[in-house]
This record gives sequence, structure tokens and C-alpha cells, in this order.
Amino acid sequence: MKFAVEVASKLSGRVGCLVQTETGQKFPTPLLLQTTKGGSIPYLSREVFKYLTEDSQILEICLSTTDHMEEALKAFKSGIASFVGFPEYLSFVTLKDPCEESPSGFHVKDAVPFFTRRGKKELTADRFMDIIEVFKPNIYHSLCDNDTDINSSKKRVIKSVDRTENFFKACLERHKISETLRNSLFFAPIVGGYNKHARSQSIEFVSKHPEVGGFMIDGLHSNGEHATKIPRESLKDIVSHCVQKLNTDKPKMMLGAYTPLAVLELIRLGVDIFDTSYIYLTSTNSQGLVFDYNLAAEKRSNHLALDLNDESYAEDFTPILEGCSCLACQKHTKAYINHLIKTKELLGPILLMIHNMHHYLMFFESIRNCIAGDKLPELIQLVEGCVSEETVAKEDKKIPPILEQVEPASVAT
Amino acid sequence: MSTTSKVPPLTYRIIAECSTTKARVGVMSLRHSDVDTPVFMPVGTQGTMKGILPDQLITLDCRILLGNTYHLGNRPGTKILEKAGGLHKFMGWPRSILTDSGGFQMVSLLQLAEIDEKGVNFKSPYDGSECMLTPEHSIQIQNVIGGDIMMQLDDVVKTTTRGPRVEEAMHRTVRWLDRCLEAHQRDDDQSVFPIVQGGLEPELREKCVAELTKRKVRGYAVGGLSGGESKDEFWPTVHICTDLLPKDKPRYLMGVGFAADLVVCVALGIDMFDCVFPTRTARFGCALVESGQLNLKHKKYALDMRPIDDKCHCSTCKSYTRSYLHHIATMEAVSSSLLSIHNVAYQLRLMADIRQSITEDRFPDFIKKFMSAHYEGRKVPQWIQDALAAVNVQLDQPEVTQVAEEASLSE
Repeated sequence: MKFAVEVASKLSGRVGCLVQTETGQKFPTPLLLQTTKGGSIPYLSREVFKYLTEDSQILEICLSTTDHMEEALKAFKSGIASFVGFPEYLSFVTLKDPCEESPSGFHVKDAVPFFTRRGKKELTADRFMDIIEVFKPNIYHSLCDNDTDINSSKKRVIKSVDRTENFFKACLERHKISETLRNSLFFAPIVGGYNKHARSQSIEFVSKHPEVGGFMIDGLHSNGEHATKIPRESLKDIVSHCVQKLNTDKPKMMLGAYTPLAVLELIRLGVDIFDTSYIYLTSTNSQGLVFDYNLAAEKRSNHLALDLNDESYAEDFTPILEGCSCLACQKHTKAYINHLIKTKELLGPILLMIHNMHHYLMFFESIRNCIAGDKLPELIQLVEGCVSEETVAKEDKKIPPILEQVEPASVAT
Repeated sequence: MSTTSKVPPLTYRIIAECSTTKARVGVMSLRHSDVDTPVFMPVGTQGTMKGILPDQLITLDCRILLGNTYHLGNRPGTKILEKAGGLHKFMGWPRSILTDSGGFQMVSLLQLAEIDEKGVNFKSPYDGSECMLTPEHSIQIQNVIGGDIMMQLDDVVKTTTRGPRVEEAMHRTVRWLDRCLEAHQRDDDQSVFPIVQGGLEPELREKCVAELTKRKVRGYAVGGLSGGESKDEFWPTVHICTDLLPKDKPRYLMGVGFAADLVVCVALGIDMFDCVFPTRTARFGCALVESGQLNLKHKKYALDMRPIDDKCHCSTCKSYTRSYLHHIATMEAVSSSLLSIHNVAYQLRLMADIRQSITEDRFPDFIKKFMSAHYEGRKVPQWIQDALAAVNVQLDQPEVTQVAEEASLSE
């Protein structure tokens, strides 16, 4: 795989392209990786996802929800993307599930703790690389200690940088000699919490290695809703510090449920790759995204999202977003979705995922067009206009994810 | 009046009849779709088939599904359904719908239900208040839901009940049918099916059918079965009812949906079935196949790289292995959708195969092949042999039986 920047404007983002050299498949950046759970896009089967888009995708596979597939993948041999039912898609493997809050602590020497539904596990760099060779991803990053957030102590931050360096070294050695991973893009994690000095150290260390195919700016949040709550100024401050120091030719990735406004800011700073964990969180929180992203179209919304669990939609027979071309809006109403949410029916989050995913994919397309046409500041202004204080307040409202109630395991009891 | 010249909301036409059994193939034309019978109707209790989009059901060529009046009457409730213009529009399903009366749920879900001549008395599970579901009320709700076929409210007694209560329930069911037909407001769009009651007593079933067939209706349901009675009591009751019911109208056997039961009851002359089993078992990680069901959670599927069924054309079998499904079954919500799609596809394909074999007048042969694959060399249960013998199909029970018998004798 290779990456090329096509359009770059100073402080107004850049458009580029990730290319799968063997097949010629192209993935324009800024790019969304498809977040998965257990290898599946949450709630959406292959058949349903294909209603959404014909474009090829890169699946974000989290070891914390797929590590139990290792033996099967050894027998299967063709890699994780084919195994989960998308042989034509590419895969990116990461450690933690960006949709769920990762527990902090439990550090041990020479290994990273991670949490699965089957309990706590530990991974050394060697074990991690064994798994990677079985999963055969097109893109992955070296094992890292990203257990830091805005409240982490200086000691923890420094420790995370040191440990990440050691894991990086060990993984890179394995990567260099691996026949299986010869064509895989190897990303270097940049950690260091919100400490610029630590970040510089983390960057300096990995920049020496020409094998690095991209950078993952990590260690800013502990996943789940946390990523939606980082103060924008702090985020901007630390990420711009990182981007300035990083090699401009290589793609930069940030995982987690950053809000649309945070994403726009990060793109403006030069980040290229994100994931769809924000779509999962909004959908399981009964939110339907409605913010405007089209500069050419008429203004449609004063909101970021609608809370479809709200009783006011019980008799609203209009689609989530008037004029939206997704299947959920073409065929179903707010009233129906409200009913599905109240009755905890599985189709509720399915329809919300369809709409929100469509909305976000279109949003990213608009972002790329705006950068190419040098209009990113106008787009940021448009989205800012939709995010009234009222919707921000609603966004904070905690509604338990529907998944827990529809899970067959709990139905059985 | 212009409305009287309209085509009735249900017409039934027999296309082919089995020359050996009582099975027949027909087309039931409803306002929202033509339904080929014998048909299996998947259950979409609360206005949705668990985890399946209406578009996916259309891809599977599902023509009719079932909605539960009791649940829909509570949520979203008649006020919202009326404003939506009925359930079809509310849930975005353009094809046919059948609704039950709500009575069965009351009796099965609510321990406090009491039945008297007026209707079913129960305590609301939502606020604890005393409520009454009368035949009139059931029809009012079903008129709002707008299903193509509605069920009369019947007096449900436990299947295993014997004695005068069964007879009382049968007579009351007939009286309630009259009240339902009287209350029915949309006879141009919807048809009420009466329900044959009478427990396991042939004379009561006979009396009931005699009364019901005096009323102007467009189809019949056989009720009061698959509630815990033995199979040896179950099939003769179905057999009697189909003998008694008029041939020119569709017959619906409520709550039956296991594959072997479907095959037997089609041979006995039933046209319509419903069951929650295919979607419920999917949520527990089970997939329907010719030989029964695979519990995909079992570790023997962990490395099995075949699809659930290599002859199945459903979207799940096209793209997913047993191994992958094993790893996500009951863990990821999407596994419910994937297995439900397969299981509904399995039921619909089974019915399509049955229809085709009847049309080509080779249904007895189909039955033999089906039973041998379904029981994989094991002895076919005696009740199935008996039921099929009653409609002139003798299953050749392999020597296995004799050998097994000899073996047991020699012990």
C-alpha cells in the first residue's frame, strides 16, 4: 500500500489517496475506516451495508473483539477481511475497541493489558505480531501503551512513551522480516498524552525509521464517549504540535469518536484518517444526525442530531432528514424509529446506523470536495452553525446502548 | 353500491391438488399481494421482523407476515397507527399482513386474565389497571392496524383441558364470531377468519365447524392446538378439521412452524402457518437446515469453513462461514439478523419446494425424501408415520427399525 498527497493547503487540510498497489483500489483521504465489532460493522450485515455504498472500504478490526478468532483464521488462511464476509475490502488492525471505554491501569512489564468479553488478556510484542501475521491486515500499527488522557500524570505519560518505544522496536524487527506482512502498511503510534515534550520524544524516535508507513496520533482519550468530550482547544493544541513535527508525506490517523466539529478541526490541521465509532455511539444513543454539510444546498438544519427517543417524534411521520437519500429516510419515519427504540427492537439501531453512516460518508465526501476547492473554513462555519447549545446538551444525555438489551445472551435469561 | 362490485379483499383459487394426500396449492389474492399457498408467515410481533429490513423480506420473496394485535395495541397504540394510516404504512411494508386477535397473548402472557361472556378481563402489565378485551374491541384495533386478514377473538382454553369448559369455549367462540363480524367496519379491505375450537374432542370440532360455515367468511383458522397436547392427539384433530372445512377457502393452522410439522400438516390439507420459532432460535445462535438445526455456538463449528447450507441462496450463506458465525453468535447483534435471514429463507424455500412438488404431483415422493433427510436414518416418529398413513403415504421405514427392534429384543 502507498499514500500520496494530492492537494494540500496550509492550515486548510489536505486531500490524498491511499492506494492498494496490488489491486489498484483507491481510498481518498480524509478517509473513514469502518469500525467493527467482532469483525462486523455494528448492526449491519454485508447485505444491508451494501444498500449504503458500493465503494470499497477499509475495516477497522479491533483485537479486543476478535482475538478469539485467531485459531479459525489460522485454518482459514485468507485473512480477517475475507473471514468476516468482505473479501473485497481491506483491513486495518488495532488493539482496542474505540466504541467502548477502555479500563485504565493493570500495566505489567513488557506486555499491554487489554479487555475482551472473555476477560482481561495481556499481549507482548511477540504475541501481538504472531496474531497480526495470522490476521494479515493491509494496515496495522505496532503494539503501544496508549493508556493516557487529559488527566494523566506526567509519570504515566512518560512511562507510556518509553513502553511504546520498546514495543515499536520489537514489532518493527518482526515486521521487517515478515514475508506475510511485506505489503502491509506499518503505522507508528505517537503517544505522550497532552505533554508536548513527551509527544516530541515519541515522534523523534519513530521518525528515524523509513519503514514507517504512517502515524497514529494516540493516547488522547480512553475510547467510548470520552473522545466526544475532549475540549477542542486542548485537542487542537496537542495535535497541531504533533502534525508540525511529523513527516508531511505520510498519512496521519486518529481513532475514536471525535465529534464532527473536532474532526473538521483535526482535518484542518492535517489528519487524514478517522473511524466510524462516532456513528456507533450516536446510533446506539438513539441520535439521528441532521447537521448540514453541503455548502451548495439550502440550509436544512439547526441541529447536530435529533434524539429520536424523544416523545415529540411519536407521531412525526416525516423522515429523520428531509431530502436524505438513505434507505432509512426513503422508506421510514421518525415515528416508526421512535416506536422501534421504545420497544427495544433490533431494527431501531439498524435504521439509525444506516442513516448516520450515510450522513457521515456524505459528510466526508463534502470535506474532500471542500478542501479541493479551498472551502474548508466555510464548511466548518456551516457545521458550527448547526451545533446549537441545546443539541450539545442533548448529546451529553446518557442513554444506555440498546445493544445490551437486544443481545441474545440476555434474552435467554 | 360501487363497493359491492369490487373484488373481495380475499379470493382463493386452487391451482393444483395432490392426487394422494389432501395437500393443495393455491393463490390467495389480498389487497396488498398475491400469496402462494401453502405459506409460512414469519412473525413480526411489534411491527418489525426481528432485525430484518422490509426490503430484505421482499428479496426473500416473503408475501405476508404476521403482527400481534396485543403488542401493537399497546405500542405504538391505535391513535398513532390511525394517524399513520395503518400498520403497512407505519412500518413501510407494502405486502400483506395478518393480525391475531390479541386474545392468545392475554391468556399466555397474563396470569391474571379471566374470561367471561363479555370478553377477556386482564390487568394491564403497563399500569396495573383492569382492562377488558371484547370481541368488538379486538376488531376495532385490528381495523385500525389494517391487516389484510384478521382473527376473531376466541375463547382460548388450555389445549390439555377436558370436559365442559371445552364445550363452553367452543360455543362462546361461535357467539364471539358473530360479535366480531358485526363490529367489523372495513369488510372491503379486510377479512375476518373464524377459529375452529373444540379442544381434542372430534364431536365438538364437528359442531364448531358446522356453526362457523353458516357464517359469511373467506377463510378459516384451526385453533386450540400446539399448546402442550401430544402429537398423537394433535394430528387427528387437524385431520378432522380439514375434512370438515370447505375446500374452496384457505385454512390456517395457528402457531405451527417446525419443518416436519409443516410437511405433515400440508399433507393434511392446511394452507397457512405461522411461528416465532425461526427468528427466536436465530437469536440463540441456531440455524435451520434440512436435518433440523445447527447450534452454531457449539465448538465443533469453530473451524468449519462451510456456509450454513451450501444449497441455500440467502445472503448469509453467500458470504458467511459457520466458523465466523460461531464466533459472533449471541455476541454481536448482527448475528441475530444474519441467522434470522437464513432461517426465514429456509422456511420460505421449504414451502416453495412443497408447492412445486404438489404442482408436479410428486408430493408423496417429496415427503419421503424430506423425512429421510430430516431424520437422517433415525426412525421417523410414529405420529408422523400415522398421520401420513392417514393420507395414503406409507413411509418405508428402513430395516434400521427392525434391526433396532431385534437388538432391543435380544438384550
